[in-house]
Amino acid sequence: MYKIISESEDKNKIKIINIDKNDLIEFMEDYKSKGYYLSSITGVDMQDHLEVIYHIHNYDTHEYIEVKILTTDDKVPSLTKLWKAAKGDEREQYDLMGIIFEGHENLRRIVLPDEWVGHPLRKSYDLKKVQYINMDSEGKEHVSYNENEGW
Amino acid sequence: MKNGDLGIKTTTIEKALEWGSANSLWPLTMGLACCAIEMMATQAADLDIARFGSEIFRNSPRQSDLMIVAGTTTKRMAPRVKRVYEEMPYPKYVIAMGVCVIQGGPYVDGYSVVMGVDKVVPVDVYIPGCPPSPQALTYGIMTLQKKIKHETDR
Amino acid sequence: MAHYTELNIGPIHPAVHGILKFKVKLQEEIIEDVEITLGFLHRNAEKICELNYYADNMVYFDRMDYIDAMNMELGYLTAVEKLMDMEVPERAQWIRMIMAELNRLAARLVGLGAFGLDMGMLTPFFHCFIEREKIQKIFVEASGGRQEVNYMSIGGVYQDFNDQIINDIREFLKEFKPYLEDIYGMFMHSEIFWQRNDGIGILEPDVALDYGVTGPLLRGSGIAYDVRKDAPYLFYDKVNFNIPISHKKDNMGRFILKVEEMRQSIRIIEQSIDKIPDGPYFNNKAKKSMMLRLKGDGEVFSRVESENGEFGVYVRGNGTFKPWRVHVRSPAFKNISVVPVMAKGMMIADLIVIIGSVDTVIGEIDR
Repeated sequence: MYKIISESEDKNKIKIINIDKNDLIEFMEDYKSKGYYLSSITGVDMQDHLEVIYHIHNYDTHEYIEVKILTTDDKVPSLTKLWKAAKGDEREQYDLMGIIFEGHENLRRIVLPDEWVGHPLRKSYDLKKVQYINMDSEGKEHVSYNENEGW
Repeated sequence: MKNGDLGIKTTTIEKALEWGSANSLWPLTMGLACCAIEMMATQAADLDIARFGSEIFRNSPRQSDLMIVAGTTTKRMAPRVKRVYEEMPYPKYVIAMGVCVIQGGPYVDGYSVVMGVDKVVPVDVYIPGCPPSPQALTYGIMTLQKKIKHETDR
Repeated sequence: MAHYTELNIGPIHPAVHGILKFKVKLQEEIIEDVEITLGFLHRNAEKICELNYYADNMVYFDRMDYIDAMNMELGYLTAVEKLMDMEVPERAQWIRMIMAELNRLAARLVGLGAFGLDMGMLTPFFHCFIEREKIQKIFVEASGGRQEVNYMSIGGVYQDFNDQIINDIREFLKEFKPYLEDIYGMFMHSEIFWQRNDGIGILEPDVALDYGVTGPLLRGSGIAYDVRKDAPYLFYDKVNFNIPISHKKDNMGRFILKVEEMRQSIRIIEQSIDKIPDGPYFNNKAKKSMMLRLKGDGEVFSRVESENGEFGVYVRGNGTFKPWRVHVRSPAFKNISVVPVMAKGMMIADLIVIIGSVDTVIGEIDR
């Protein structure tokens, strides 16, 4: 059985439930059986750890719940087996935030090309290092730091 | 062109060609972002662009001679823009519509927007605005027509 | 042995409504699988939002769903105002509501026009844009901007409504009501439109819920979910309107539903325009000169109903002038992910109308 660490409320009166990341699948399975659907996944970089925030929604009781887990090694379990909506969201968070969702069958970058270096939404991402994208005649994309190799 | 007394005009072949191509610009639908909607509005009934001889927006680069780059060009899109440009037949012209296309616009701080489409393809006319109003785009096209009409003079 | 053909549609293609790439696996003309490539309009709005002051970020939200800018602003503002415990005067809230609904009409008109274009119907496109131009004239009068209006700001709206604008809106609605029926008739009396949409793009409700689909796509599958009713913001609980749903589950049902929603939007504007009270249109705590010195603390998730569905904004503040994290729950991102399911087993030509019916705006998907 999962254990709820603490409960609070955000400023829009949405209930926040803090749980351990090992309990996540069990918790979500329980809430899925209660009629909740996944609405969005947000990753927040707190510099020494990452917060992963799941918003789940019940269309019958009009209830929105925020589920929050912490991770220090960038890894969290994937929810793709529960909701298909997680497929795109998890890929996006992997791409921009670098959260590795264990068990996602197709965890690739979604908005940036595969060769891109770094995860831009991390606070440690260096915006001064400009990367350039070029494409060969086959349509394959190449990323480079060298300005001359772009376009 | 010189007006003859008998209702006859004498001109050079180059001038006639320029006059023809300036008044029959066929733009390519290169709608990338927000500006694309204003480009559509320019084409639509209220601000009809057909008055200037460019009513036919072509979807194939091989049938068009003007590329209106309407909307933010991202780094991922830039090679594709270049490729489409290369597929267009000569003579070809490019209009950069909107500040994003001119120099990055509001996304200048970011990591994935090209700071000016002129790094990718040569640009003839720049139209500032975010997004430029359809009237501005019409003015830009008229400016381009003027440029085309005086190409041999230069 | 089955023989497959692979076909690339996009990124620059008139039918994909922006820049989006579909890799379609075909068996003769039947679609086996669709793979979507996103990211051609990834403009890193979420990252830039972290570098800017709270009030500056409006610009980036305007340009997310660029044809529905008012609702995007509203989504961000409802979140940020709660984060700052900022009260919004009543007058400003009514004005916001009218503007949001007007923009919903404008966005739908673009959507319908483009949907017609996908099927080669050029006439409705022109009529839709004539009407949209009238809405934009109202926006210009109120805000100075045509499309990316930047009209609302933290604590209220940028400029007050004057009698001229209220008159213009009334006049517009009077003209628009019969005109909308005309446009509707243009679609409905077209034999080709029926043949290309009736029974195409079936989306079952359980699939829609599983994929997190919202907006007209979900209501078109028979689930009456609209944020304006589910969790009313502004004064949506003080006006009468209905949420239309369709049990047809296909393109045709969704089209009829979208037009019905436009009629409901007109109803909302008609009711609210009489209810605008006198008073300030701006919270003095957020005076224009003080705008950059607003601090936010804590976290908030707020959602509004945009033209594509539930638009959610998550903002985390850390007590400084700049947000720590801004995340957008993009409805179109969820909606587009269901296209492979809807298109499976259909003809390749049907994919075009399915994309048109989903009515995506790429700026919001890629951000």
